[in-house]
Amino acid sequence: MTGDPFDPEALVNVTVPLLGLTVTAESRAQTVVHLRIAADHAHKLLSVTLDDEEEPAPVFTP
Amino acid sequence: MTGALLDGTAQAIAAAVRTGTASAREIAQLALNRIKARNGVLGAFTDVTAMRALARADAIDAARMSGTKLGPLAGAPFAVKNLFDVVGLPTRAGSKINRDRSPARADATLVARMEAAGGVLVGSLNMGEFAYDFTGENAHDGPSRNPHDFEHMTGGSSGGSAAAVAGGLVPIALGSDTNGSIRVPSSFCGLFGLKPTYGRLSRAGVFPFVASLDHVGPLARSVDDLALSYDAVLGRDDRDPVQADVAAAPASPTLNDGVAGLRIARLGGYFARYAELSAISAVDTVAHALNAERVVELAGADVARSAAYLITMVEGAALHLERLRTRAGDFDPDVRDRLIAGAMLPGVWMTQAQKFRRRFRAETLALFRDVDILLAPATPCRAPRLGQRTFVLDGREMLVRPNLGLFTQPLSFIGLPVVAAPVWTDGEKLPIGVQIIAAPWREDLALRVAWALERAGVVRAPVARLS
Repeated sequence: MTGDPFDPEALVNVTVPLLGLTVTAESRAQTVVHLRIAADHAHKLLSVTLDDEEEPAPVFTP
Repeated sequence: MTGALLDGTAQAIAAAVRTGTASAREIAQLALNRIKARNGVLGAFTDVTAMRALARADAIDAARMSGTKLGPLAGAPFAVKNLFDVVGLPTRAGSKINRDRSPARADATLVARMEAAGGVLVGSLNMGEFAYDFTGENAHDGPSRNPHDFEHMTGGSSGGSAAAVAGGLVPIALGSDTNGSIRVPSSFCGLFGLKPTYGRLSRAGVFPFVASLDHVGPLARSVDDLALSYDAVLGRDDRDPVQADVAAAPASPTLNDGVAGLRIARLGGYFARYAELSAISAVDTVAHALNAERVVELAGADVARSAAYLITMVEGAALHLERLRTRAGDFDPDVRDRLIAGAMLPGVWMTQAQKFRRRFRAETLALFRDVDILLAPATPCRAPRLGQRTFVLDGREMLVRPNLGLFTQPLSFIGLPVVAAPVWTDGEKLPIGVQIIAAPWREDLALRVAWALERAGVVRAPVARLS
């Protein structure tokens, strides 16, 4: 691990065999890029405090 | 005469066919000729259903001769994004992989309903692979090209739908919109596009992408046609398990009810921060025409966009995991690598996104107690050039492909109905769209506002002058 709390390289190493995927070097590099983007979005999302009682919306009806 | 008809509206075509001024066969043949002449440059169609179209047109002409009352779309050609099932065609969903599927044995519900209203299906349309795209660039079929400037994107993923309508090949096309895939191409190609309320229209026979975000709807060159096609496909369908049991009144009869009394506001904050001047000016133009001076904030819009982004990655990955395992090399790499990343995201992110979704919905519905219509840009900019990979918004360089929908995603995240309406600026070759947003199930209000703006000449959707 580096000082970065989110390490997409490590995540790829662990999950590629877990998911049964085969990833080329080129694909791996781009996957890491997309994981970093996703982590930025997640950081924003996780900064919102939600109460324990708040329900998720698994079946959504407007 | 029929050539001019094809440049006009489906409504006018149907009137001409009903009165015998033109035959459905003449119109269908003209559309097929147009497709043959223009599709090479536009890249709009992937399949042309010529025999089916002519047979359907002949049946309409025979019905007229026998005195049978014809439907509201009688003889009007239409086409569908190639994720709609069409009998006899494999449902590609923009992919190479799906071409190995067996041909569809039944039409998607919306295809059948368009034909029941008199529409004549002329083919299936190019799209971004598996609908994971905002550009209209397809790695297997080539890009759809913006009819107003071939060097620019149509937007996606309903890129072929937009190219076909803006290019004058058909007056109406059906598309799908998970995060903006009707509204982004409508903005870039200068069309009216309707993303109805989530659960309003049947998705039966439509290849999925993100089940909890997928919508279907029409693109057209007039609000009348948008409403006509929306009305034609309304109705319960038990084949779509998420379709809501909400009464649906046709929108066409109320289009000219006017906008007096409607409380209209524009969205500020997030919806201004990432917008280029052209997008802000387009909203200014529409807001001014509607005397909408009020600016309101949609609190949490940026977080909503992030949550939608993550849900899309995860649900999309779950849908395609087996294909990623077995046929990774047959994907568009840009799509594949986003899906692979989606398969790796922690479950807690997804749950947080779904919890936030319920809260954001509640807060947005509260906003609709004080307003009837919200206005926002459909896209942050006009259509980028084909092949453009990055752009700068709010001082930050971003990837084009995932970020063209940053104004559409927060709204489809909670299933709001939206009409995209095109604004043109003197001296500019390309238009840009404004989103007219209503509360759930109030498509009629968004269409009314769009109709009033069209009548006032504020928004318009001309056929492109192809050079």
